[in-house]
Amino acid sequence: MDGNWLYLSAALAVGIPALATGWAQSRIGPAAAATLAEKPELTVTVVLLIAIPETVAILGFVVSVLILLQGGG
Amino acid sequence: MSRIRVLGPREELQSVLERIQDLGLVHFVDFAETEALTQLVLTPQQERHLRNVRRVVEDVNTAMRLLGETPAPSRRAAESLTLPRAALIAGRARRALEGLEDRRRQLEEERSLILKFQPFFSTFDKISTSGLDLDGIRIFYLVLRVGGEQELLRLRAALRSALGEGFELFSQPSASGESAMILAVSSVDAKTAEALLSEAAVQPLVLPDQFSEGGAIDTIRRMQARLKDLPRDLAEIEVERKRIASVRGRDLVRIQASLHDHLSTITTMEKAVVTPRAFVFEGWIPSAARADLERRLQKSFGGMIEVETISREEWEGEMAPVVLKNPRLFRPFEAITRMMPLPSYGSVDPTPFVAVFFPMFFGITLGDVGYGALLAAVSLLIRFRSSPNTKPRAVSEIGLACALFSIVFGFLYGELFGDLGHRLGLQPIIFNREEAVIPFLGLALALGLVHIVIGLSLGAVQRFRGDKRHAVGRAMAAVMVILIALALMAAFELLPERFFTPLVITILVLFPILIVAEGVLAPIELVSTIGNVLSYARIMAVGTASVMMAVAANRMAGAFGPVFVGIVFALLFHLINFVLGVFSPTIHMLRLHYVEFFGKFFSPGGVEYEPLRHWSPREGAV
Repeated sequence: MDGNWLYLSAALAVGIPALATGWAQSRIGPAAAATLAEKPELTVTVVLLIAIPETVAILGFVVSVLILLQGGG
Repeated sequence: MSRIRVLGPREELQSVLERIQDLGLVHFVDFAETEALTQLVLTPQQERHLRNVRRVVEDVNTAMRLLGETPAPSRRAAESLTLPRAALIAGRARRALEGLEDRRRQLEEERSLILKFQPFFSTFDKISTSGLDLDGIRIFYLVLRVGGEQELLRLRAALRSALGEGFELFSQPSASGESAMILAVSSVDAKTAEALLSEAAVQPLVLPDQFSEGGAIDTIRRMQARLKDLPRDLAEIEVERKRIASVRGRDLVRIQASLHDHLSTITTMEKAVVTPRAFVFEGWIPSAARADLERRLQKSFGGMIEVETISREEWEGEMAPVVLKNPRLFRPFEAITRMMPLPSYGSVDPTPFVAVFFPMFFGITLGDVGYGALLAAVSLLIRFRSSPNTKPRAVSEIGLACALFSIVFGFLYGELFGDLGHRLGLQPIIFNREEAVIPFLGLALALGLVHIVIGLSLGAVQRFRGDKRHAVGRAMAAVMVILIALALMAAFELLPERFFTPLVITILVLFPILIVAEGVLAPIELVSTIGNVLSYARIMAVGTASVMMAVAANRMAGAFGPVFVGIVFALLFHLINFVLGVFSPTIHMLRLHYVEFFGKFFSPGGVEYEPLRHWSPREGAV
């Protein structure tokens, strides 16, 4: 595979999920802050809800690394 | 736990509750009224007594908070302190301490007000030595922000054009970089000067009330004198507080404990139901302590009190209160379990698994001798500054376990503040995380597989007591996940290829059994479980990000011209990476536990075991 396409693919593999995660967290964050203002006892649930979309970015990162390693190899 | 019912003569109810409080093991529950048994209603006299007790408790709690220390309780017997006497002591102590607190607050406010004028002191020294006559002069106290030279020039020009030579503006830079300025104008021109200051958006400081009278130099002299006197006045308040602590502190501690105990027995009385002559209440007690309770009541009341055990058939498991009981080594990790609702009675307490896997995953992710040692130092600091059985103490002990695993895995990866370890001769034992991304990913997924299979197995064991078909389904899911992992390994030639076909056939054979046991949603559940295993890739992702940040920090040392500047940047970057390296794995490991692991077996809904027991200042009740 051409080097430039390889790097572009790897960047997109992590970039797009990261944007998606950011968008999801931007929606969860304000709701979480409002929830915590009223019910501080829900801290753990709120932290989990914020952390859940990060899976997408992390899996994107893994795929990106695999693209670079497999393509480079 | 055993559910018990206690019956006895109505007039002995409070005494019985006091003996039960001494034992400290009975968790009371509300008792439903029947035709013959009615809820105990306090008499007007008892209600009045309860209100009095609550008021004294509030007084003593406030007094203890303001006292700021907890002396050892007095040896005087509790009985010698009657309620009126206790109310008198607590009320007087509260009023005295509140008075002292008000006075202390006033003095602190006065000090902070005078400190605002401190930058003007040296300017006034200059004025007083210059021989300037300040009679009939209005003084404005101004503070010019850092870099406000242009504002000063503009203000001076505006004053000159409006007042000509009829003003003096003294400026003195202070240690903070701001300038303290004094504007002196004739009283006649005061209004004009005020308007000019307002236009220039310079807000003059207003003198505190007690200094508003008198000449400017005299005012500043008085402020200087007052600032010298204030520490003495504050020290006098502290002496008085200490005197109250030594004279009344022990009595207050005794009153606080005995009244809290008394209050809890009165409020527990409302959980009893009564007939005109007898009382009945129900509660939970650890099965091993039941005989002890009976013996104590027998000793105190002879045969007047009857303790019955309610048979297991008469109550549901969910009704029993829950207490987490773990070995000392695992106990700090109960704080992590307690962040979720308590597990229901009779279900698995996940604390021992959390105690093993949480610090291990954390250590695999952070995996650095340097950062691990730093975390250990921070944890030890928190440990020495915290009291036993408190949340900070639990956090420090969890931190120490995480630090230990981080140091161990740091040696295995050969990392000390990133690649500094390699440069100092520390060699990786298992793999170098900077390069071995795929082996690290494999390790993370393998750990995920083990963790999820343990979760599914616990789910199977837990369900085996009730719904056996679902228990088989859970066990089958665990087996299927293992088989799918093995088949994938065979497909990628990590296992001999000849295993692939038999493994796939076994999976196909087991699949219908899984659907029969778990229902038609079982395939979706299985895919979701495989997704859960993949989620453990975050251990690799967060770990790799952490080590790369550390490597970047080390490279900074040589990237900036002078070595000193590079080292400062590198240290700052390492500090940021350390904070991120502790925070990020904590959040992700919590998520792996709560979502992926607990989701396979955890059954929430337990009621906290809160027995009637004696009160203590630290924990509320002991």
